[in-house]
Amino acid sequence: MTEMDLNAAALPPRSRGVIGLLEENCTVCMLCARECPDWCIYIESHKQTLHVPEGGRPRVRNVLDRFAIDFSLCMYCGICIEACPYDALFWSPEFGYPEADITALTHERDRLREWMWTVPPPPGHDAGAPPPREAQAAHPGTSPAGQPG
Amino acid sequence: MAAVDLPVPRRGGTAAAGTPAPAGAISAGAISAGGFSLRVFDAGLACCAVEVSAALRRCAELLPGGGAGPGGEPGTHGGAGAGGQAGPVNVLVVAGTVTDKLAPLVLAAYRDLPEPRRVLSFGACSNSGGPYWDSYCVTKGADQIIPVDVYVPGCPPRPEALICGLQLLRDTGGEQR
Amino acid sequence: MTAAEILAEAGRRLPGARCTADAGVAGAAGAAGAGVAGAAETVTIDVPRQDWLAALAFARDAAGCDFFDWLTAVDEQDQGFAIVVHLYSLGSGQHLLVRTLVPREDPALPSATGLFRGAGWAERETHEMFGVVFDGHPGLAPLLLPDGFEGHPLRKDFPLAARAAQEWPGAREPGERRAPVRSRTRLVPPGVPEGWPPP
Repeated sequence: MTEMDLNAAALPPRSRGVIGLLEENCTVCMLCARECPDWCIYIESHKQTLHVPEGGRPRVRNVLDRFAIDFSLCMYCGICIEACPYDALFWSPEFGYPEADITALTHERDRLREWMWTVPPPPGHDAGAPPPREAQAAHPGTSPAGQPG
Repeated sequence: MAAVDLPVPRRGGTAAAGTPAPAGAISAGAISAGGFSLRVFDAGLACCAVEVSAALRRCAELLPGGGAGPGGEPGTHGGAGAGGQAGPVNVLVVAGTVTDKLAPLVLAAYRDLPEPRRVLSFGACSNSGGPYWDSYCVTKGADQIIPVDVYVPGCPPRPEALICGLQLLRDTGGEQR
Repeated sequence: MTAAEILAEAGRRLPGARCTADAGVAGAAGAAGAGVAGAAETVTIDVPRQDWLAALAFARDAAGCDFFDWLTAVDEQDQGFAIVVHLYSLGSGQHLLVRTLVPREDPALPSATGLFRGAGWAERETHEMFGVVFDGHPGLAPLLLPDGFEGHPLRKDFPLAARAAQEWPGAREPGERRAPVRSRTRLVPPGVPEGWPPP
């Protein structure tokens, strides 16, 4: 073989290549920025008051102004993805994004959104894995191994 | 647990041996095409060195004309190129954490590198200090002491990411910073 | 010697010692001597500073723990520095931890190099990282730190300057545009002591 074909989609499941942001899920809780051990997530936001026309209580929500991940610092530990309570961050197996300028390794919101389209569907459960907690909660009385009683 | 046989990543399904590569495929040999050839020197300081070794070993197998070039350096494609290039470009790949104690040696390695020379920073530690950015004895990035031309992110980056970085080095015309 | 025998002998020969046996280091490393009674337990001997060399000699000669594994220090803050040595018996698979406390104002301890030559580099590293002085060491020069480094980095009161100098991205509250400059409710990032850097 004289060619080394590169295809990120053929890598093992849950491969850690780059992090994508689904902005619609983000509530700017700041948990990812606080938990990141490298301090490489930069978040700026402001509060927006929504007035309800029928005279209800005005709601205040956070609006994301800036969400950037500095991939020159990132150590791909995944703590941000695990800490996010709203599933706004995802792993993608894409790996070919070198830069000549180190500041270009800080990916802003638009580029993090582009990575979302490379996020593979979640892999199926491994053989022999215990059923997810949601299934156990839905069927109480079954043991973690899936056997009743 | 049985050993997992990981296939070599392929584009669009398995390709039979001998079939031409699909358009747009990245090849290690293409780095040497167009008169641009490389001589890669790996400053393997820490864990990233393992990935660079894996990539360079593959390069030696895949480059046309056989493995090691003159002098025995892996990844060498001998001879001057048609594009008017004087000879192979010497690339110093800094792979791993640059500690304060080791920084003078990395600087000496760069100074001893003959022209034309480029520097490729491989991995988070040599890009910016990485996970050890707050340490008391880590240089926060190889670019604190030597000029870096290409940064490859990752912790560690895949061996294929080194090939992507060397491609970027070729595509930017090899302009030195 | 089994763990029980070591405990009994240590109680007899080292009157100031306090000895315990638990899973400890042996449990973490896996029972190296599975099947030998008591070998899976790590014996920990705490001695006052003046019995340090006597305890090491007892461990090597009487207890048969002649393999020197590592020596390091733990910053116990107000109590001083705890110097810990891990010894191992190649014959019986017995793990042994010997510990002592040195006060912070006078962190000096006799060197173990007279009994274990392998303690040379470990004591050099402990000296440069914690500032503990080992009397009788043939050459207590820095080992790992670069030339001209000031301070003892592994002491708990040695802060990581980069963490205090860099603005922590998590200091902002949700919905805040800029981090508060110096407010009472300003969050301190993990790893930075309260009130550091001093104004």
